[in-house]
Amino acid sequence: MRKKVSLLLFMFISLWATAQTLNVKGIVKDAITGDVLPGVSITIKGTTTGTQTDFDGLYSLSKVNKGAVLVFNYLGYKKKQVTVNGETVNVSLNESAESLDEIIVVGYGLQKRKDVTGAVSLIGEETLDALKPVDATTALQGTTSGVAVNLSSGSPGAKVNILIRGVSSNTNNQPLTIVDGYEGDLNSINPNDIESITVLKDAQAAIYGIKGANGVVLVTTKIGKKNRAPSVKYDTYAAVQHTTRKLDYLNATEYALVLNEAYAASGQTLPFTNVGSLGRGTDWQDQLFNDALLMNHNISLSGGGENVKYFISASRTQQDGIIAKEKSNFIRNNIKLNLGVDITKKLDFSLIANYFTSASQGFDGSLLFNGLNYAPTFGLNENDTNNFLGIEVVNPLSLLENTFGENNGNGIEGNFQLNYKPIDGLTVTTRLGYKIYNEKQRSFTPIQEYGSSKVYNQTQSSVYQFKATSIRVQWETFATYAKTFAQDHNTTFTLGTSVQNDLFDGIYATGFDVPNNSYEFADISLTNTQSEQRSINTGNGDIRLTSYFGRAQYDYKGKYLFSGLIRRDGASVFAKDKRVDNFWSVTSGWKISDENFLKDNKTISFLKLRASYGILGNLVGDNLYRSLLNGEGTYVFDGALVDGTAQGGLPNPKATWETAQKLDIGLDINLFDDKLSIVADYFEETRKDLLIQNFPVSGLLGSGAPGGANPTVNAGTSKNTGAELAINYKAYETNNASINLGYNVTYVKNNVTAVLDGAFVEGGGFAIGNLAPSRMEVGQPIGYFLGLVTDGVFQTQAEVNKHPSQNSLGATSAPGDIRYKDVDGNGVIDFNDRTNIGNPQADFYMGFNISAKYKNWDFTTYLYAEIGKDMVRNFERFLPNVNKPAYYLDRWTGPGTSNSVPRLTNDATNNKLFSDFFVEDASFLRMQNIQVGYNFSPELLEKVGLAKFRLYTSINNLFTLTKYTGFDPTVNGGAIGAGIDYGTYPSATQFLLGLNVTF
Amino acid sequence: MRNYTQKIILGFIFIASFLLNSCDDEYLDNAKIYAEDSESFFNSETDYYNALVAAYDPLQSTFINVLMGEIASNNTLCGGESATDVPGYQQIDDMTHTPVNAQLQSLWSWMYGGVNRAAYIIEFQDKTDFPGKKGIIAEARFLRAYYNFELVKWFGDVSIKAEGRFVLGDEKTIPRSPKEAVYALIEDDLDYAVANLTYTAPEVGRATKGSAQALLGKVYLYQDKFLEASTVLKDLIDFGPYDLVTDYNSIFELAGENGKESVFEVQYLDVQGAGFGCLQCSEGNVAVGFQGVRGYEGTLFTSGFSFNVPTQEMVDQFEVGDKRKDVAILDIAAWANSTGAKYTTGYEHTGFFNRKYIPRKRSANAAGDLNLTNPNNYRAIRFADVLLMAAEAFNRRATPDDDIAKKYLNRVRLRAFGGPGFEVNSTDTNLRSAIYNERRVELVGEGHQFFDLVRTGRGAQIPGFVTGKNEVFPIPFQEIQFSQGNWSQNLNYK
Repeated sequence: MRKKVSLLLFMFISLWATAQTLNVKGIVKDAITGDVLPGVSITIKGTTTGTQTDFDGLYSLSKVNKGAVLVFNYLGYKKKQVTVNGETVNVSLNESAESLDEIIVVGYGLQKRKDVTGAVSLIGEETLDALKPVDATTALQGTTSGVAVNLSSGSPGAKVNILIRGVSSNTNNQPLTIVDGYEGDLNSINPNDIESITVLKDAQAAIYGIKGANGVVLVTTKIGKKNRAPSVKYDTYAAVQHTTRKLDYLNATEYALVLNEAYAASGQTLPFTNVGSLGRGTDWQDQLFNDALLMNHNISLSGGGENVKYFISASRTQQDGIIAKEKSNFIRNNIKLNLGVDITKKLDFSLIANYFTSASQGFDGSLLFNGLNYAPTFGLNENDTNNFLGIEVVNPLSLLENTFGENNGNGIEGNFQLNYKPIDGLTVTTRLGYKIYNEKQRSFTPIQEYGSSKVYNQTQSSVYQFKATSIRVQWETFATYAKTFAQDHNTTFTLGTSVQNDLFDGIYATGFDVPNNSYEFADISLTNTQSEQRSINTGNGDIRLTSYFGRAQYDYKGKYLFSGLIRRDGASVFAKDKRVDNFWSVTSGWKISDENFLKDNKTISFLKLRASYGILGNLVGDNLYRSLLNGEGTYVFDGALVDGTAQGGLPNPKATWETAQKLDIGLDINLFDDKLSIVADYFEETRKDLLIQNFPVSGLLGSGAPGGANPTVNAGTSKNTGAELAINYKAYETNNASINLGYNVTYVKNNVTAVLDGAFVEGGGFAIGNLAPSRMEVGQPIGYFLGLVTDGVFQTQAEVNKHPSQNSLGATSAPGDIRYKDVDGNGVIDFNDRTNIGNPQADFYMGFNISAKYKNWDFTTYLYAEIGKDMVRNFERFLPNVNKPAYYLDRWTGPGTSNSVPRLTNDATNNKLFSDFFVEDASFLRMQNIQVGYNFSPELLEKVGLAKFRLYTSINNLFTLTKYTGFDPTVNGGAIGAGIDYGTYPSATQFLLGLNVTF
Repeated sequence: MRNYTQKIILGFIFIASFLLNSCDDEYLDNAKIYAEDSESFFNSETDYYNALVAAYDPLQSTFINVLMGEIASNNTLCGGESATDVPGYQQIDDMTHTPVNAQLQSLWSWMYGGVNRAAYIIEFQDKTDFPGKKGIIAEARFLRAYYNFELVKWFGDVSIKAEGRFVLGDEKTIPRSPKEAVYALIEDDLDYAVANLTYTAPEVGRATKGSAQALLGKVYLYQDKFLEASTVLKDLIDFGPYDLVTDYNSIFELAGENGKESVFEVQYLDVQGAGFGCLQCSEGNVAVGFQGVRGYEGTLFTSGFSFNVPTQEMVDQFEVGDKRKDVAILDIAAWANSTGAKYTTGYEHTGFFNRKYIPRKRSANAAGDLNLTNPNNYRAIRFADVLLMAAEAFNRRATPDDDIAKKYLNRVRLRAFGGPGFEVNSTDTNLRSAIYNERRVELVGEGHQFFDLVRTGRGAQIPGFVTGKNEVFPIPFQEIQFSQGNWSQNLNYK
């Protein structure tokens, strides 16, 4: 009807048309996806004349004056104005990602961005598109204020850790991840399937109660749009990967000279008599590192009809490792089906299903460790048969040859959801979320020999197999009722319930004497059935949760906003009287820009003040209140093993979850017609009842017995204080070109404010025989490094004599040894002189990105930095004959030679004690991504029947600026014991070439 | 259509409300019904037996007591790979150890692990009755006495709890009992064990009346209660089934395990793997691998980490004609010469190794890490030890009986020299010195020398030993902190 009216109008107007008018037609598409857009309204500027695009995105307007301006308007997209110069006007519209009217998911509900009263960040599809992460989690790194992402290792398929607003807990800092309403994980999802990621950072997450304290990551996957023609997309890229770094170690000649010096210093016979013939020797790192391939294919179909929307996709990602690619790699396949159907006007359902398989091969860190420490004087196939390097260092290539392990998983996860809208304003939702994951591991230890009594020697082959199924079922029902009273009073009420059950059922077994000592035969069924060592065990888990929740939201004219929410959770993992608790929060907002005094302000287009406060929980631990009989109590009677029954970990009947008190005060400002937007937040979090696993207790209690463990105790409080700032600036925007700048920075300071009984929690490890280097202790950040403070190197015996005695450290000092500070000033250097010598968590983390477009070209770059973090260099094995880092070339060799690197000697010294000599500033700036793309013009593509064809090239991790001398300053993780580098698998630099096609 | 919709909706609401009304408590309680816990145990004889097996288990961790005890003495040097190989051992060898010592911490925790495993049974001794329960309780009390004796030997005054296990908080309230009180509990436990055990164990490896008597005699000796010691040891010698084996060498080989000279023996086996992450979990004797010849390739033995190497001074203690010398000491250079064996040298290489407890060639069933799983039993109390203890007790008691003392001493010497002609005929203090010397050479490598020196006031013979300090080892640094002022550090340690 409307069309007909417009047509009539056109005809009417055309009566006045002059000879300069044109009949304009064209097609309107989504600029990113290339999808055609139906129902886009098109008006001639300054008139009421206009039309709409049809189902195929086509439109036509007759008799338009040359030079007139067409305005294209479409919900959820940026408005676009185009001047008419010819008969064809094809237009691409961009989604308005930063739009204030954008709807975002906030947990059991949706909110317009401008009405949000909590601290929320949003990652759109375009960010995921640009960064091409193998694991979608990596897309949060540097793109989201308040969120830090750490790799546990650069190994393909390695776990990626997310930290929201710093480390608060000593055990679990992973946020809750909710995918389309079910509890899931980012690593099983194909990043191409993701439409948006919302991060809830403050007390607003209290709607998730006992699981909300670490923040909540809400993922929405694509489900298609109604009334859209089917769109088929194919995306692919291939990349060559290369290590981001190799370490500077001694070559054969340098190594031999350095060793000779150490032997001479100890009055021993020189090990190398003919140094001149050694040359550079073998560079073991060169032998281990290789260039490796990364490939991704992704195909999807999406669209919708009157009552249906759908999205189907399939993808495959294959990544080889940059170390020993034949034994380190990762493959993930995904098949995704999302479907939404309106059954009636009042009832609709959606089905979300993600099937995934993954396969990976990897090895432990000992490979690189051996690569660094094995002497360069050895040939490629030469084993250290005489134990020249000690029993713990072996030829890394031989070790690699004997390394076999694989990990396979497959699963299905998703949601079935029904929405019923019986009356206006009321929606009742019920949904069943599920995740079934089957995991299979196999590792094979062949018979191997590296030289007499090497610890890696195996005289018997064995195979370890593990199979497990995890099932999660989650059933949630909730009702939302929205009503406006007296025009200005808007209210929304939500009330719901949730039940969850997490089951785990696994079986582990080890068999011995694998036929032919070969991986091909590595299956328990083929091993020696008579072996006494053959072992089999099972593991079970059953965690249950019941919850009730409610939320009330109120606003007056959309100007003053309030909400309050409460959640009651019960968890089966704690003792009966410690099982149930309530969590709550209140949030409020004031849209100052809606006040009269700002309403027509030319500079400030939007201004909102937000505040939130609440109590949230962090569910850690299982069955802590009971002492299970799972200790090791095996002894020998009558010459055979007899299994007894012993207590395992010590129980703690009082154990309960961690609670967080969160405060957030934030400000959202948009300036200059929304060109510049700023989001600033101040936050405080007090995390109480930190559940400290293996809480150090006196040996008196017997936890030192085999299979024993210390209890898990609610024993600490930590406080995080910080601020974050995100700035977005649309620096330039015309039809042909645009430049966008984004910057975000987060500052977090952690401080432990209480540990039960004034005790401390230790963790991590440094070299062999040292005290634990990491601690959680009152007045210090979680996991800070505790060690001795160096004060240069003794140059002369007189200096040694003048200095307080260092003998209590275990050895007598001599010139060339490290001088330690007498921190407690008692005239003796001992282990009480250890103090805070570093913090593995960064003070600041920040991201900077630029995206620009010019005609058919696009350009993006992302930078990420962490400032004020420290790491421990722990990849040196302190044995006389192993290879050494190149800094030993600058060692002390006599008075005045060095005041930082100690002498080399084979005598006992205190130089290898944990001190700031081994702690380095690991602040870094990394060029995460730089990308250039070219879109072929639509006119050209139409001829071949394509909607979009984009070619791009991209480099990930092009460079990393850092003073740190280890492999990778970005690799981190954990709380107590974080930042200790055992020779970690570094991240790869990736050179990508990619293609996006839409049919 | 409308009707269907309503039915679906009604269905939902029904199920949802059912759920809401269903009992949360039951749902939350249902988890983990299949797991038994510690407080619901001891319902049958099997439960008691299984708990007893687990109480024996920490005996295997006493490898560290033996190894470190020997290193502490003047018999050996620490050795190892380098001067910084296991600093805790190196420092104890040099008597420079401090409260911060990972190995001392292990010893403390492992021994208390044993105390609590035994006390677990004692705590629940009245829960379920069955024939023969007294025997199991007696073994549990023997084991608690064994572990407590180790603690008092190493640390002096330590906390004890007669009624059962220690619980969280005890470290802040239960003081370090004076040595005398610890010994009183040990004696009490052993008296019960002596009274309720027989000379024959139901299985090889379990404690007997003889084990309890021998340990009791030793405990008396450590307190200078010579009369009591002489009485209980004489009773054991006269009525027990034990005797010296003829061939000293056979004692320390696999075939000689649990022989007639063995009064109490810690059992080890090498069919299960082990790793450095949990040395106390190994079913093998970890000390043996540590003492092996570094890089050894050749006949009879296998390689190890070259710790605990005997000194020339120790080797010189053997008299000419003493057949024990070549059993106790491996002169590696001579051995290599005669057999063509190859080896490398470690730190503080003396050329000698503790041959009694170095790794032998292994069976095909041996599981890795082979260095940590050696199957050599530790002959904790040998009959020769009992004879020498008895000799000492008779010599030193208020009413000495040197004739009996000489008889016992010469019984040991007769075996050592393979025949008569080497008898000691002195009396009083000369006889005492002879007994002391005999203990040193007879028991070298078995972890006794340090404590023998200390209890007889001869600690100063150990290089670096500080009288008034090194008689006991420091309470581990962290333990003092955990006690929050309840425990003070041993004298002159800080």
